[in-house]
Amino acid sequence: MHSHSVSSDDSRATVEQYVKWIQVLRKRGHTVDGIVLTEHRKFDFGKDYSALADQYNLRVLKGSELDTRYGHFLVYGVTQALTQEIEFSDVRMDARTLMQAARQHDAIALPAHPGRFGIGLTDYIAQGESFDDVEIVERLNGGSRPGENERAEELCQSSNLFGIGGSDAHLTSHIATCMTDFKANIKTESNLVDALLSKEFQPVWLKDIVTGASQS
Amino acid sequence: MPYIDEIELGDEIGPVEKIASDEDVLNFCEIWDAPKPNRFTDPEIAAKAGMQGTIVPGIMTMAMMAQLLTDWGGPGAIKDLDLVFRQPVPHNRALTLAATITDIREEDGEHLVECDILMTGTEGERYVGGKAIVALESR
Repeated sequence: MHSHSVSSDDSRATVEQYVKWIQVLRKRGHTVDGIVLTEHRKFDFGKDYSALADQYNLRVLKGSELDTRYGHFLVYGVTQALTQEIEFSDVRMDARTLMQAARQHDAIALPAHPGRFGIGLTDYIAQGESFDDVEIVERLNGGSRPGENERAEELCQSSNLFGIGGSDAHLTSHIATCMTDFKANIKTESNLVDALLSKEFQPVWLKDIVTGASQS
Repeated sequence: MPYIDEIELGDEIGPVEKIASDEDVLNFCEIWDAPKPNRFTDPEIAAKAGMQGTIVPGIMTMAMMAQLLTDWGGPGAIKDLDLVFRQPVPHNRALTLAATITDIREEDGEHLVECDILMTGTEGERYVGGKAIVALESR
């Protein structure tokens, strides 16, 4: 649900490397059904990974991770219309505007690593900001420092929020360290938005998913 | 040194624990002939640059990571080392260096191993990360 390929300036992993690494994970007995690429501050309309995905029997979906003045937000179900309304490279955008615009365009935006010290949503809430449209946050983030996922968990508990898991991978071997286990069978970005709106999912660690269905 | 047929995807190189002490950094800067004073050895200059303390030079962290690979693969084994510096690396703190093999291939007659490489801190800090390509001998 959260990964970066070399299309993001701070990643050193190609999509093909991620997909091949997932075959390693599968050989080790882990279940990984798909990945979502969430490149920084953009959406790669021109990139099509369907052939690669078919070759390895994997879903490769696309989203975005945007910088806002209230931390990073993951966006799923990105459309041309949404990118025309919201400037994805604007690092000072109001996250509340982003969330509302996303829903108006059948997409969904939710806070990434909300427990991150200094730039996570929990810090902005502590400063008095409110985010009434937030119903889902990234509860497990594979790149978190000790204590940050715990802060996200506390936020979920105190505000009755749902949580997803994402690896936040920037290197090949970090893909799928955290995932989201959905009840629905997801094939498209639109399916993913519907599955998130259904709230029938849970965040999981890779080490806990050795058998059974899961999607990252 | 390992032979290419001894390597499997997912194998780990390291982890190795290191500390870049004040003295280590000073010595490195002497050899490197870095202009003095600088943010690597002078706390006041580091503070003026917005740092919380003196930092390890990027080229020194790169050398430390390269050493992890050459200690494993042998001198001259590194074909490529591409790193992202995510956070300043502090002096006198325990640093963990490790790599994970993510691809094994033959290219132009060379047996290449590609790996993720990471320098982390004791509090989960990911200071420097990237990927490397190392050439190994075959039997």
